[in-house]
Amino acid sequence: MPTLAAGLSIGEYARSLLRRLCFLATILLAAVWALDGQGYLWPAWAWLGLGVLVLLDYTAGWAWRHPPGAVRRVACVWTLVGVAAVILVATWLLTWLLAGVHDFWPAWALLGLATAGSSYSLIALQDRVLVARGRRALRARIDLLTRTRRQAVDAQAAELRRIERDLHDGAQARLVALTLQLGRAEMSVHDQPEVRRLIHDAQREARHAIGELRDLARGIVPPLLADRGLVAAVESLAARYGIGTSIDADTHRSLAPAVESAAFFVIAEALTNTVKHAAAQRSWVTMRDEHRALVVVVGDDGSGGANASGSGLAGLRARVEALDGSLHVESPAGAGTVVEVTLPCG
Amino acid sequence: MIAEDLALLREGLVALLREHEIEVVAQVEDGPGLLRAIAGHEPDLAIVDVRLPPSFKDEGLLAAIEARKRQPGLGVLVLSQYVETAYASELIGENTAGIGYLLKERVGDVKAFLDALRRVAAGGTVLDRQVVAELLAPRDGAVGGLSGLTAREREVLALMAEGRSNAAIAESLVVTAGAVEKHITNIFAKLDLPACEDDHRRVLAVLAYLRVAS
Repeated sequence: MPTLAAGLSIGEYARSLLRRLCFLATILLAAVWALDGQGYLWPAWAWLGLGVLVLLDYTAGWAWRHPPGAVRRVACVWTLVGVAAVILVATWLLTWLLAGVHDFWPAWALLGLATAGSSYSLIALQDRVLVARGRRALRARIDLLTRTRRQAVDAQAAELRRIERDLHDGAQARLVALTLQLGRAEMSVHDQPEVRRLIHDAQREARHAIGELRDLARGIVPPLLADRGLVAAVESLAARYGIGTSIDADTHRSLAPAVESAAFFVIAEALTNTVKHAAAQRSWVTMRDEHRALVVVVGDDGSGGANASGSGLAGLRARVEALDGSLHVESPAGAGTVVEVTLPCG
Repeated sequence: MIAEDLALLREGLVALLREHEIEVVAQVEDGPGLLRAIAGHEPDLAIVDVRLPPSFKDEGLLAAIEARKRQPGLGVLVLSQYVETAYASELIGENTAGIGYLLKERVGDVKAFLDALRRVAAGGTVLDRQVVAELLAPRDGAVGGLSGLTAREREVLALMAEGRSNAAIAESLVVTAGAVEKHITNIFAKLDLPACEDDHRRVLAVLAYLRVAS
């Protein structure tokens, strides 16, 4: 397509010129009317004609740009309406100039054309309007569900942390105080072996209860994770496994409890699998921030062949997916296992 | 002095210590309070809970480490609801003298608790048997000299790490002192540690090994 110096095609240049001329004519007519004594507002009709011209230009462009279909048909109809309107107004201008007909006789015809065009548009675009509205409603619903689900998961994680803290600082601490009192009681009873034995048994029960509460709390969230965050907890975990896992942590965000716990349990499960099944020489964990997400990779150079749909990994996948994250496992037989998890963060 | 946020337990401890003629010079509820009180009273020993206000995280542990920096001779007995080997190594740092790390429920065994307290105040080292157990736990696929120890030798090593004497170990395992000595010689041989009679150096050796293992 031939172009002009400014980079516009001739067609575009013509259309831009048309719009400017229309604008100029509008102002000129207003000026003439003002200088002519400001009587009957005859330029209004000319403005209508110019407006129709601009509309014509717009609808023609619209029809040109859209692929064949309802939108293009509607644009074509409006172009035809525009052409008819221009012809009507031009004819009127001629009758006014040549025969002095002041009465704007095409008014009703223009109204009819506009009504016909609108009716056609409504009928032709009805489906599209409905579909678009449905789609908008659906998107709003998805947004709402995504947001509220995340809120629910976050609230649940925060609540679990609170329970863990309450167990530690509430029930468990009270049981500790109880064992202390029992210990003191035991010390103060010297000559009644029966009573001493009862106290001793009570103490043993209290110790069991403390142990059970501790295991329960640890299952909810390991204390180191709650106290010092993901990196410290993973380092301690890896040290406990003692397989020389290298840890590369490049994450500086403060993570939501739900994300932190999910990342930790994924790493714990993957490392457990490495220790149990992989017979690996080397294993590694990397944690890094990406745009609005935490990416965790746990890998080893062991025997591979992990079952990605096994119960352990499936449970983790559900946990990760509840956070709109994704979990990928690559484990070709004999070539190590790599688990990669992406967890969106706010 | 005592740093513990739960009043019930704090008061119980104070009563227990006073019953056994141990003077409690200060009771505080949080980390900053601990540091202030130590500067004011210069106690022999501080009993510190790991989780203290305001953060309820590892505030007590950090305060205990800081307190030992400020007053090098201070004995610190850290009590915790759970054992974390990372905390044990941090607490021990470079200097094992006058360090204790026990699970909170050990206060129930009054005799052993007071014994641990006195040993820490005297510059000894006391580690909870669960810390030791966690460090000694056999791991699948793990490599380390500890896997060569027998079950009985592990028990003896755990008791050694708790800072017990040969006689106390013998009593606890219901064996003769001679048998304990034999186990210890075996352990040192298997772990490639120089044997020595001194209790404290013995604990140091064990801890040195545990630090490497962790």
